[in-house]
Amino acid sequence: MARALSLYVEADTFVQKLDPMVKLLYILVAILIPFVILPFRWVGAAFIVLSCLALLYARVFARVVPLLGFSFLILISIVIIQGLFMPGNKTPAINILGLTFYKEGLLYALTLCIRVLDVLLAFALLVLTTRPSDLIQSLVKRGLSPRFGYVLSSALQVIPQMMSQVGSIMDAQRSRGLETEGNLWTRLKAFLPLIGPVVMSSLLETRERAMALEVRGFSASGKKTFLYERESSTLDRVLQWTLIVVLILSIAARFVLV
Amino acid sequence: MNLIEVDNVSFAYTEGVPVLKNVTFSLNNGSVAIIGQNGSGKTTLVKLLKALLKPISGDIFINGINTKETTAAKLARTVGLVFQNPNDQIFKNKVLDEVMFGPLNIGQSMEEARENAIKALETVSLVDKKEENPYDLSLSERKLVSIASILSMDTDIVILDEPTIAQDYLGKAKIRSIVHELVQRGKLVITITHDMDFVGECFQRVIVLSEGQLLLDGPAREVFSKEDVLRSANLEPPYVAQLSKTTGYQGVLLSVEEFVAYYRSAMEDWERRS
Amino acid sequence: MKAVVVENLKYRYPSTERLALSGVSFEVEQGEFIGIIGKNLAGKSTLCEALVGLVPHFYKGAYGGRVVVDDVEVLSSSVSELARHIGIVFQNPFTQITAAKLTVYEEVAFGLENLGFQREEMVKRIDYVLKLLGLYAYKDRNPFELSGGQMQRLAIASIIAMKPSIIVLDEPTSQLDPLGSEEVFKAVQSLSKEGITIIMVEQKMEKIAQYADKIILMHEGHLVDFGTPEEVFSRPDLESYGVEPPVFTSIAKKLGIKDNNTGLYPVTLEQMRRLMIGEPHRS
Repeated sequence: MARALSLYVEADTFVQKLDPMVKLLYILVAILIPFVILPFRWVGAAFIVLSCLALLYARVFARVVPLLGFSFLILISIVIIQGLFMPGNKTPAINILGLTFYKEGLLYALTLCIRVLDVLLAFALLVLTTRPSDLIQSLVKRGLSPRFGYVLSSALQVIPQMMSQVGSIMDAQRSRGLETEGNLWTRLKAFLPLIGPVVMSSLLETRERAMALEVRGFSASGKKTFLYERESSTLDRVLQWTLIVVLILSIAARFVLV
Repeated sequence: MNLIEVDNVSFAYTEGVPVLKNVTFSLNNGSVAIIGQNGSGKTTLVKLLKALLKPISGDIFINGINTKETTAAKLARTVGLVFQNPNDQIFKNKVLDEVMFGPLNIGQSMEEARENAIKALETVSLVDKKEENPYDLSLSERKLVSIASILSMDTDIVILDEPTIAQDYLGKAKIRSIVHELVQRGKLVITITHDMDFVGECFQRVIVLSEGQLLLDGPAREVFSKEDVLRSANLEPPYVAQLSKTTGYQGVLLSVEEFVAYYRSAMEDWERRS
Repeated sequence: MKAVVVENLKYRYPSTERLALSGVSFEVEQGEFIGIIGKNLAGKSTLCEALVGLVPHFYKGAYGGRVVVDDVEVLSSSVSELARHIGIVFQNPFTQITAAKLTVYEEVAFGLENLGFQREEMVKRIDYVLKLLGLYAYKDRNPFELSGGQMQRLAIASIIAMKPSIIVLDEPTSQLDPLGSEEVFKAVQSLSKEGITIIMVEQKMEKIAQYADKIILMHEGHLVDFGTPEEVFSRPDLESYGVEPPVFTSIAKKLGIKDNNTGLYPVTLEQMRRLMIGEPHRS
């Protein structure tokens, strides 16, 4: 059967075991401080280093590399565009292939690149070391609508199912003489007979599933309980408070420095 | 030349997990039921017959054409396959358009396609619903529409995948009469099914698959007399056959009519003797 | 207290003209096994939906009459509240899996979490129902990896875990192979032995004749008959309701083989065999 959508990597480190809310808090702090509170390049770089260390310790760094590779294209284009064309470019820095890159633009590009990497790595830390079900359950416990939580959880399995169903629909239409291979026009013509059944059966299935949920007490009044409850460990609390303290200190530092 | 020839065919989706092992048989016109547990390889075999999959070893010849050298779409003129789930197939919002789709694909003209579609809808008794949206019909009516969509292509071979699921008594009777009509017109009708009574009532020949291997292949009467073999494949003979066994009848009875006729003549014999 | 009381139930789906149910009335005692038969669109599924409150709460539409389940008035309750008293298993094993859980164990817990069971109670209930339905060995598997028969047993387990005293099953074996069907029938039978009231819609007449205490015959929204399998299947006008009796009954009717004490025809292989042996013996 189709595998559930998930980027989670299993490993026996404290990072995987950490409360998802702490990781969410980390993302918040990693964005607020370098972007807003203390917008210096070295602050952003510090968070990048911190995220990388955490990713390495959690043994998931290998999975980040393709992600970095993809973002590399974006980063390069930022450097080129800002380096060449940013308004306010005055001081020439480098000359490559007859194109002049300016210092102001390059520095600004550096700031942007640091920010992009900072956010990317902080999110990667969350996504690669947290089970989706744990994350969603944490959110629901803290007030996210259980309905919304269900939609998110089920999407992770329903979407791959839908994709594998496209295969059977393709088989059914090919059996009726629909050519699916060939030039672009042939393949485009084949698209419509495939989409209809996919959408219709998804809608029908969703409806049946909605009924099945109702008869499992989905809309029952009263507080929902959880089969697997995590209690906050000491580490969770320590890290949570550390992050909050760091946030407060950074705000204080801003008033002092600026 | 046989209509269908399956020659020592093996197949696996993933390496090392064979789904079909060295299956060999040939078919001509008439009616054949392929029975077996889920996972026995029935669905895979049917997909191979339709060139949706190609054998890993062995060959399949449809009317002399090797399936490895053609595509499912090209074979659509010869082999029609009605899928189990009509929702996997139906996409037009008028029944008539849906039933015309296949014929148009295989090269019939608009008039021909329309004529064949209407004839097909008459065969399944849904011609009065031809202007309706298929999704406004019940599931069993949609099933009949998907059957009509294949009948309209007038293929020599018709394969029905679990046609009696979700059908009531009237629906089943309709499908039985469709099978009879197709056989009378000289077609080859193949069905995959779990419904042993359906098989007993209208299929001349039965092929039993178990764990990818062909266990039995022969006239229905013969196959259903081999209760032990059937049990090993987690199957049971039709109820009528089970009943005839308890009366000590040598051989196997396959339908209500047969049983009634046999019993009456047995009674008459007995009365004449006493 | 009766398990189910239905009084003059009438219902019409939204945007339709004809009544799906036209004045249905019957009562079910606790622990009974009731079969519902009838041709397609006779109202069997609608009746099931009315017992668990999907009609009218999920479908809306026009509703009249009264349904009381386990002493709870369906109209004034909600589907989720009724889930504590009555559960339902549908035809399609696939769409009854929530898809929000990654293991069979957690899947069964879903309903218990919704109803606010405490953890120790949850674990007890889940272990119990998984063992009852022969699924304990699969507790760590992904629900989507199960076979059709196993998935249906999982659906039944998930419903039973919530402790309803009544369970409705709407053609639960129609999409299953013989082995899967047999698994489901055995599971339902063991539930019946535990004292749970069973209401089951079936097209496999031979099976329902074997297991049911009583049978309801539905036709075009009306309840036409409510009696023992022998009584209902012996009716001479069954075919006019689009229903075929078990094969044995059809044969017995044509041969005039009936139980001389009750005047009714046999409905199972066993009954037929006994009556035939009683008949003048042939070699």
